[in-house]
Amino acid sequence: MALPIRILTAVPICDGHDSAINTINLEFIRHGIEVVYLGFHRYVSDIVRAAIQEDVAAIGISSYNGGHIDFFADVVSQLKKKGANDIAVFGGGGGTITHDDARQMKHKGVDEIFFAGTSLTEMAEYVKKHYGKKKKRRMKSKPDLVLARKLTELEEAAGKKAKHRTPNSEHRTSKVIGFTGPGGAGKTTLIDELVLRFLQRDRKTRIAVLSHDPSVIGEGALLGDRATMINSQDDRVFMRSMATRGQAGGLSPATESCLALLAHSGFDYVIIETVGTGQEALPFRNKLVDQTVLVMNPDYGARLQLQKIVMLDVADIVVVNKTDLERAKAALSEIQQRLTQNKRKQEIVATVAKRHRDPGVDELFELITKENT
Amino acid sequence: MSKLGAVVEAVEKHGSFVLEQVKRARSDEKFAQAVTERWNKVKAEIPIAKAPTGLPLPRLALPEIDEPGEIARYLFGDGLPGEFPYLNGAYREMYLEPLREIETGSYGNRKSPNGDSHNGAGRVSRAKIPERPARPPLQEEPTRLFSGLMLAEDTNKRFHFLSAHQRSKRLSTAFDGPTLYGIDSDADGVFGKIGEGGVAVDTVEDVVRLYDGFELGAPNFSASMTISGPAPIIMAMYIAAAKRRFGAKVVPNLRGTIQADIFKEVQAQNETIFPTEASLRFLCDMIEWTTANMPRWYPVSISGYHIGEAGSTPVQQAAYTLSNGFAYAEMLSARGVPIDQFAPRLSFFLDCGLDVEYIALARVSRKIWAIGMRDVFGANARGQMFKLHTQTSGRSLIAAEFKNNLTRTAAELMLAYMNATNSCHSNSADEPFTTPSEEWIRLAAHGQAILLEESGIFKHTMNMLSGSPGMKAVERAVEKAILDEFREIESLGGVLAAVENRYQRSQIQNAAHRYEQQIYDGTRPIVGLNRYRNGADEMPEIELVRTPRAKQNLQVERLKKFKKKNAEKSKGALDKLGAVVERGKNCFPALLEAVEVCSLGQITGRLQEIVGRFRPMV
Repeated sequence: MALPIRILTAVPICDGHDSAINTINLEFIRHGIEVVYLGFHRYVSDIVRAAIQEDVAAIGISSYNGGHIDFFADVVSQLKKKGANDIAVFGGGGGTITHDDARQMKHKGVDEIFFAGTSLTEMAEYVKKHYGKKKKRRMKSKPDLVLARKLTELEEAAGKKAKHRTPNSEHRTSKVIGFTGPGGAGKTTLIDELVLRFLQRDRKTRIAVLSHDPSVIGEGALLGDRATMINSQDDRVFMRSMATRGQAGGLSPATESCLALLAHSGFDYVIIETVGTGQEALPFRNKLVDQTVLVMNPDYGARLQLQKIVMLDVADIVVVNKTDLERAKAALSEIQQRLTQNKRKQEIVATVAKRHRDPGVDELFELITKENT
Repeated sequence: MSKLGAVVEAVEKHGSFVLEQVKRARSDEKFAQAVTERWNKVKAEIPIAKAPTGLPLPRLALPEIDEPGEIARYLFGDGLPGEFPYLNGAYREMYLEPLREIETGSYGNRKSPNGDSHNGAGRVSRAKIPERPARPPLQEEPTRLFSGLMLAEDTNKRFHFLSAHQRSKRLSTAFDGPTLYGIDSDADGVFGKIGEGGVAVDTVEDVVRLYDGFELGAPNFSASMTISGPAPIIMAMYIAAAKRRFGAKVVPNLRGTIQADIFKEVQAQNETIFPTEASLRFLCDMIEWTTANMPRWYPVSISGYHIGEAGSTPVQQAAYTLSNGFAYAEMLSARGVPIDQFAPRLSFFLDCGLDVEYIALARVSRKIWAIGMRDVFGANARGQMFKLHTQTSGRSLIAAEFKNNLTRTAAELMLAYMNATNSCHSNSADEPFTTPSEEWIRLAAHGQAILLEESGIFKHTMNMLSGSPGMKAVERAVEKAILDEFREIESLGGVLAAVENRYQRSQIQNAAHRYEQQIYDGTRPIVGLNRYRNGADEMPEIELVRTPRAKQNLQVERLKKFKKKNAEKSKGALDKLGAVVERGKNCFPALLEAVEVCSLGQITGRLQEIVGRFRPMV
């Protein structure tokens, strides 16, 4: 089966018009396209960095706030500067982009501009027709580019169930931390807040983040974690969004090999985030990670539910996030109680990840970094 | 229960109160007599004015009823214009032409013994039949056109162009993208956005230029500023600019509105720059300061417009807007700001599109607000009034055969004025393509003049189109649906909790998706797009308003000069501001000092270091 087309969509800086792109994203997914959505109010540099790291075939930009000629042209020229001119640029802006503007934009290297009245299907068909060709290998190029393309190759290999030599986890140069937990517990926000602390503590630290979103084999996916991340849009952070492409359990068929590669690529930390998981999930097998963090929501239901969450037995750190909720106090003591059954050293941390400078996140950061500093 | 739950109860209770009065008027002879006397007195006092054709018409139209129960239902349930629960209008005469000659009656002259000064003037006790309040003193044109383009001097020129022939100068300011996001024009990557879609403002000097030639403290001048994320900073710049031109004594006289609605930004428009809680704190700081020091300023315009434009249904728009308003009232009360200090300074902004709900959406909103503010928050009459600015729907305008947009806007204007909006913006037909050019904005402004001045629809008689059976049916359906939405939000823990759970956002997105789907499958007819298409999709020849590079460069140069000039002083001002914010004190006075020497981006940057940045919701 052909691998899904991957594209990145975004809305430019100083523009919050995300209504159109939200609708278009859904249509692309329906047509089997994997969409990495970067969100609104995004700088050119953030878009270009993300497109390279995600190794997408094209960038779709939805612009409604003017200044589109400069903005689109800037994206094209920065891609070129970074050696990624194989990534195409297309977009639209309802009536705000005139035919004359579009001519200028195309002259500056934009592939296509969709005007008001274009049907959603037409856009999706365009993407499928033009951006579905297989990518060429990029060897003599900048490190991010090469790494990104190698990750794509690993994903392709996993899709074909081909054997791919995976580097031995014994020789990792990065500490690998696995984050898992139910959907909506705040894993992405928590990781983004930790990234801020990594970046601030040491000006040389480099981080890789491997995040997962669910998808069915051969179909599209919305990879939307980047859209809510504000601190991870940084040159010292390499982030890759993966669709599970039909695999159950919270990770993708290519996770293991991709992780192994990242752990050898000079990052100080590699953070891996599973999709939202169920009670039976044990996503990190075979010493896949060095440390596991289970992120919980205080609203897990009755106390008895805790007995069924198997990750509670094996997680090194249990984070109870959203402890500003009323239910949090009871949840903390119930979870604490549940952990004492395990008779092994497990840490429990209460956080409010959405809060700036949250002391709970500070505490978690110390737990994660203490062996390495 | 948050106060929203209490509002639902209050509206239901008011409904049963009205029914009780109806029953009582039918069973209690003395009450029936009092009700009928009041009715006859009101009717007798209505002046008759002549239309230009000589046709005599009453200045106020009332339903033709004489049965005491029905009279009670009307007086208590709808209220006369300017009377609780304000269904027919927040004020008594709205757009009527000033009376030149009174043919009969004393309606326009008599002073009411029942002013709005005492708390709960609108609270109708079981026995007392309300008297009519005095009519407002100043007649202003309701037309208020939103504009902003290129640099401050260009927008200033547009302001003068638009207000040249108006007796009152009511300006409405649109800001460019970088300003809306609190970013300086010299920031990396925003150059092409300078002056696009609105005016570029970086410093207090830009604000001085922006309103040059207007007398900021004059009673016939008011400025509206459409900005929310960095609103407290821009508000401080406006005050500082006014002081530079007219001295400190001008501050209490400043009139106008700043949008500053954080909830709708997080729910729909996405122009917010600090985390929600921090944004709300800065907003309340500003409201607390301005309501104490600028009694004629509206420091927040609680806006459904952007919720509607982002794709919500009309009911969602009204429900989220009202509930956001009640949430602000709850927050300010919790802070200890006296209700009668802030409630009269809350104003509203709704969208008006072509869906049938718009026949009565603002009418019902006015009623729910009045009941909630009176019965749950204990606000006085002025605090119960839902003061409304309406804008015709931008989303309803389309690029294909764009001249049809004139008709769409005209129909929407009609609906807006049927809903007795206090002020109104009519969109220009060329807006699907560009910031309006002078040709089309002139037509948009004239649309309102034709409706209000040329036509006799709204100028001779109040209630000219109020209260038809169809309108009543829409009112009832809309009111029920709004209360259902309130219950849903309440069950999620109130407005703030629902916002954090993205409830309103997802509801709006779902509605937007459905709307697009309906356009594509043809169940939502759009003339020129999915009906009566003429086949030619060529864009029309229209004049585009774009900011030339030279102007963008000029803005950056000015900003750099300002920063260089104030390099030393800005450091101190930012440190002081930072310290106040860290200590949790009201930061508005420190902002007032900071804007004298700091740019918008410098202040935003420092505040974000302390409170963090907004994490987008998707």
